[in-house]
Amino acid sequence: MSTNSGDTAWLLMSSALVMLMTPGLALFYGGMVRRKNILSTIMMSFVCLGLVGLLWVLYGYSLAFGADKGGFIGGLNYIGLNNVGQAPSSVYATTVPHLAFMVFQAMFAVITVALFTGAIVERIKFSALLVFATLWLTIIYLPVAHWVWGSGGWLAKLGVLDFAGGTAGKAQGLPSGFHGCQQHTYGHPRRRDSLVRVVRV
Amino acid sequence: MMPINGADTVWILISAALVMLMTPGLALFYGGMVRRKNILSTLMMSFVCLGLVGLLWVLYGYSLAFGADKGGFIGGLNFIGLNNVGQTPSPIYATTVPQLAFMIYQAMFAVITVALITGSIVERMKFSALFVFSALWMTVVYLPVAHWVWGSGGWLAKLGVLDFAGGSVVHINAGVSALALALLLGKRRGFPTDAMEPNNIPLVVLGAGLLWFGWFGFNAGSAQTAGGLAANAFVTTNTAAAAAALTWMIISWIYRRPTILGTVTGAVAGLATVTPAAGYVTPLAAIAIGVAASIVCYYSMLLFKTKLGFDDSLDVFAVHGIGGVLGMLFVGVFASLAVNPAGANGLIAGNGAQLLKQLIGVLCVGAYAFVVTMILGKLIDITIGLRVGQSEETVGLDISQHGERAYGGLLR
Repeated sequence: MSTNSGDTAWLLMSSALVMLMTPGLALFYGGMVRRKNILSTIMMSFVCLGLVGLLWVLYGYSLAFGADKGGFIGGLNYIGLNNVGQAPSSVYATTVPHLAFMVFQAMFAVITVALFTGAIVERIKFSALLVFATLWLTIIYLPVAHWVWGSGGWLAKLGVLDFAGGTAGKAQGLPSGFHGCQQHTYGHPRRRDSLVRVVRV
Repeated sequence: MMPINGADTVWILISAALVMLMTPGLALFYGGMVRRKNILSTLMMSFVCLGLVGLLWVLYGYSLAFGADKGGFIGGLNFIGLNNVGQTPSPIYATTVPQLAFMIYQAMFAVITVALITGSIVERMKFSALFVFSALWMTVVYLPVAHWVWGSGGWLAKLGVLDFAGGSVVHINAGVSALALALLLGKRRGFPTDAMEPNNIPLVVLGAGLLWFGWFGFNAGSAQTAGGLAANAFVTTNTAAAAAALTWMIISWIYRRPTILGTVTGAVAGLATVTPAAGYVTPLAAIAIGVAASIVCYYSMLLFKTKLGFDDSLDVFAVHGIGGVLGMLFVGVFASLAVNPAGANGLIAGNGAQLLKQLIGVLCVGAYAFVVTMILGKLIDITIGLRVGQSEETVGLDISQHGERAYGGLLR
């Protein structure tokens, strides 16, 4: 299909809007912690713009939206944005440049990783968070995004509908955050507060 | 005349709004980094540009930058007061959108460029002097340079210098002028011995986030159509910013701790550096550009501030000036006709001449901005004076220049 400029304008603008959610989330979380931890909390979200933004281009997009491998994960055909150019994809968002769809999806991955940091603020080591975020993106987000949104993903084939990320973005963040909390609450009675908050969310 | 394309018009108008938002974003980015007694004056220095430049641009700025060419140096007076600038497209610029849309999009670039300069002279420059300087600088530096590079018939444009979204017009121009003005003005009292602690780093992060967001309009909007090229520029912009943010974070980690202030500064350095290249290079080249941006800008900052003792207070020259130079040269290295057939090939694609052209563009814009800013600054210094008095500086510019303070109540 040829590119539709109205759709392209809309998707690019939407990408910019989703990008702004991550600094927004950083402030949302940052304002909720004690004053001694605000910068670390902001950093946990903001760094995802750098980390996930880069990994997505290198291999993330390919594993989520590359040629299907058994319904479970995407292939390596889009690695380093190989074959992802200014012409539309034949499968995804077929009226906009493939690059526009790619970067729109990148912003989803960024904010999803940033979202779960709200569960573990005020106590996780930053280095550990960076490593965890990288691994989590790679082995949880990318497969799940493929299951639900990838062409050939097994949940998509089953007919599960997820318009904008109720499973891929939000439901993953909840158990991951919840689990992180459980592990860290033992021996820290005041942390029960943050456990309650996460469950509420 | 081409008919108006609705989607392109939407894209340029929304991009203009995005670029407009960069100036309040920059105000917060700068405002959070100064001491608490100077935050309002720092915010004001950027915000006032929305008023001042926004008005001058309509009155004569657009005409001198984009009016009928006069010898390659400046635009004519045919668009003065937006005469002949209407709802139909221009036959030359952004030919698928109303000329008014192209005009206002360009207005936002002029606004933020003037605002960018102010980061080097915070906490000590007289507001009246800055106000006069901004009006003069826009008139005799920004408008000619914008015409040279982007105007139809501009001499650097005819030479073949490529600047997609303002590496020379915006970043070198503002960065070099910021350095010149800071040199004229001198150091802040107490620099570099006193700790000059930022008053509100979360505000800096908010500003950086808004800048990153707005930069999509800045760079992807510069495609002037909503299509593949805009998507390419969008992706290179985000990718360079991501790579640069991480790189600066790692550098600051090597020396001490991974600071949020360093991470957001890195992001801005990456964004500034990729600006001239966004629509000429591939996303993978943007990774190299982002990594190089943070390394080079970081060590430039150390060199200027620590070794040479320049008080370019918020590192405008190190981040925007050096970033702009680097980005302009990277166009000469990574540019590819496969990405943008209206551009050129660079060194890697076998066209070394492009790198030379880029270097000429860098030197001419840099030299012109430096010399003219020095002259303007000197003129203002001997007439109304550039710098506030000693006691005014000590009490802070918020109270001495504006009669306000940001944080009421008792100091804790």
